[in-house]
Amino acid sequence: MVSESCSNPSVETEAIMSRRPKYDKSKFCIKCKVNTGAIVVRHAVYCKECFPTLLSSKVKRILEPRVNSKPELSRRKSLKASGNLLIGFSGGLGSTVLLDLISKLFISNRIEIKEDGVTKPRGGKDHPRNEPVWKRVSVCYVEIAAGFLGATQIDKIQRLVQEKYEGVEFVAVKLENAFDPSWWDELGGKAALNAKADLADDDLLVSTIFNRPDSDPVQRLRLYISALPTHTAIESAIRTLIRILLLYTARLTRSSHLLLGTSLTSLSINLISSIAQGGGFSVREEAQEEWRSDSKEAIRLIRPLQEITIKECAMWAWWNELPVVGRQRYPGVKQGIGALTKDFIVGLERDYPSTVSTIARTCAKLAPKVEAAGLCILCERPLQPDVQEWKARISIRATIGTSLLTPPSNTLDSSSLLKSLTPHLCYSCHTTLVSRNSKGVSGNPANTWLPLPVWASAHIQNPSPDADDISMQLDANEAGDEIWLTHKVGPDETMAVIKEFLLE
Amino acid sequence: MSTISLRIEFGGGLELLFSNKRQHTLTLSSAVPFDNNTKIAPDMLSGVETKPADVEYLLFYLRDILLQERPELFMEDKTVRPGILVLINNTDWELEGEGEYVLQNNDEIVFISTLHGG
Repeated sequence: MVSESCSNPSVETEAIMSRRPKYDKSKFCIKCKVNTGAIVVRHAVYCKECFPTLLSSKVKRILEPRVNSKPELSRRKSLKASGNLLIGFSGGLGSTVLLDLISKLFISNRIEIKEDGVTKPRGGKDHPRNEPVWKRVSVCYVEIAAGFLGATQIDKIQRLVQEKYEGVEFVAVKLENAFDPSWWDELGGKAALNAKADLADDDLLVSTIFNRPDSDPVQRLRLYISALPTHTAIESAIRTLIRILLLYTARLTRSSHLLLGTSLTSLSINLISSIAQGGGFSVREEAQEEWRSDSKEAIRLIRPLQEITIKECAMWAWWNELPVVGRQRYPGVKQGIGALTKDFIVGLERDYPSTVSTIARTCAKLAPKVEAAGLCILCERPLQPDVQEWKARISIRATIGTSLLTPPSNTLDSSSLLKSLTPHLCYSCHTTLVSRNSKGVSGNPANTWLPLPVWASAHIQNPSPDADDISMQLDANEAGDEIWLTHKVGPDETMAVIKEFLLE
Repeated sequence: MSTISLRIEFGGGLELLFSNKRQHTLTLSSAVPFDNNTKIAPDMLSGVETKPADVEYLLFYLRDILLQERPELFMEDKTVRPGILVLINNTDWELEGEGEYVLQNNDEIVFISTLHGG
C-alpha cells in the first residue's frame, strides 16, 4: 500500500520510527555464546569474562608487530625490544587503562609457581618464556601546573603508580623543562643559546640571544603561553611540548618504545582537530611515529589503545577498580577547536559508534603526496615543502610597511642576527603561532616575543648536515666574514632599482 | 503505595556534581508521573497519568532533586549527556533498554563520566 502523504509523527504515533536496538542479534556474548552480555561495543555484545580477551587482543595486535627492531614474520619469534620502555601517564582514563593492561600483559605476566614456599618463575628464570620484553619499564608524568599557577600533583601520581604497579620506575617531568637549558644539558643535547621569535610578523623573525632578566624556565614557559594568539593555539602548543618532552625522556631512559594511552575516541578527536588546524601532512604520525632527532636511534611512539573506545576503557577501569585521577586542566581549554571537536565526536560515538572507528580507519589510509623536506623545528614532525608559497597563493596577507632592517655591515654582531623561523615550521605549527582571533586570548597583548623551547633553539644553533635531521642553514659565518641579511623590499625601493628599465 | 529502594553511584568525576559524594541511597515510589514531573509528591498521583518507575524518571529525579549544579553536564534532552556511561546492576544499560528499563527494588545504577580523556 502506497502512502498518500508523509505521516505527521506529532499526530499519528505509528508514524514515529521504532527505536533501533543498540546491539545486533541477541543479548548473549558474541564470543562464547553462553554468557549473558554485559557490554555493547559497536553493536557487538560481550560478557564480562570475554571482555579482557577482547581488549588484550586489540592491544597485542597494535603493539606486538612493532616491538622487535625488525618486523618478524614468524609468530614463534619471541618479543625482544632493543631498548627499555617508557609509558606516558597523564592521569586520564586512557593512560590509566594503558598502564594497567601493559602491566598485566608484559610486565607481570610471567607464570610463577610456588616451590617449598618460594615463588619461582615456571621453568626457571632462564626459560625463554620468562625473558622480559623490555629490561626496564618507566612511567613518565608531565606536569603542566607551573604554566597556569596550578598546584602540583606529582607526589599524588607517584604514590598511585608505585603502590599499584611493581617493577616500574616513576619519572616526573615538568612542562617548563622545555625551556630549561640544564635539563637539555642532562640529555646531552647540543649547545643551545636561548632564542625567541617575534609573533608580530608572519615571518617569525628569530633573535638568538634572550636578554630578559626573568629568564628562569617557569617564566619563559608562562611567556610562551601568554604570547600564543588563541586558546586553540595554547592547547596545540601544550600537546606538542608534552609529546616532545616524553620523546626526549624516552631517550634519557634509553627506551626504544614510548607508549601513550590514546583511545580510539581520543585518536579520532585528535585527527579531526589536527587536520582542522592544518596538520594533514602528519596525519599518519597522529597514530604512531618513529622519532630519531639528531640521528640517534629511533624511538617508536605507539598508541596501543587506538582500537579501543573510551567506553571500553571506562568499563575496564570500573570492573578492575582502577583509580582515575583525571587529566590536568587549564583555563581556556574548553574554548578551542579541540574541545568543540571532542563534543562532536563524543556525541557521534553515542548515536553512531561505528563512525568514530571509520574516522581512524580512513585516516590510516592517507599518505602525503610528496616527500617531507626535513622535520619541523618545533614539533619535530615531517615538514612539507613549499608551505609558504602555497599560503601566499591562497590567502590575502597584509604587510605592514617594509622591513626596517639596516643594510649588512661587516661589524654586525651575530647575536642580533634576525632569521625567519617560518620556513622551518610545518604548516600546523606556523598556523598555531600566527593564527588570528577576533576575541584573542586575555593576557598581555604587548607580549609578542615567543621564547623557543630548548630543542628548537639548539636546532637553530647547530644545524645538522644530515638531510633527515632538522637543519637551519645559517647565512652568517664566524665574525670577520661577510654577513648577509635579506629583507623584503617595499614599493619605493623596488621602483628605485627597476626605474631605468621601464619604458615609461 | 509501594516504594523502590535504589543504590546510586557516580564515578569519573560526576560525583562533583552531586555533593562530591560517590554513593547515594534513595527511595522512589513504584509509580511515577508519565511526564517525569518530579514536583508531584508520590501521594498526589491520583488523576495523574502514571508509569512504572523507570530509568528515565530516575534521571529527572537525580537532576531535579540531588544535583547541586550544572545540570547540562549530566542530562541532555531526556537522557544522559554523551560521554556518560550507565550501568544497571553492572550491565551496560544499552542491553537493558536504556531509559525504558523498569526499576526493581535494590537495583544498583552507576553513572560514569568518560570525559576525562586519555
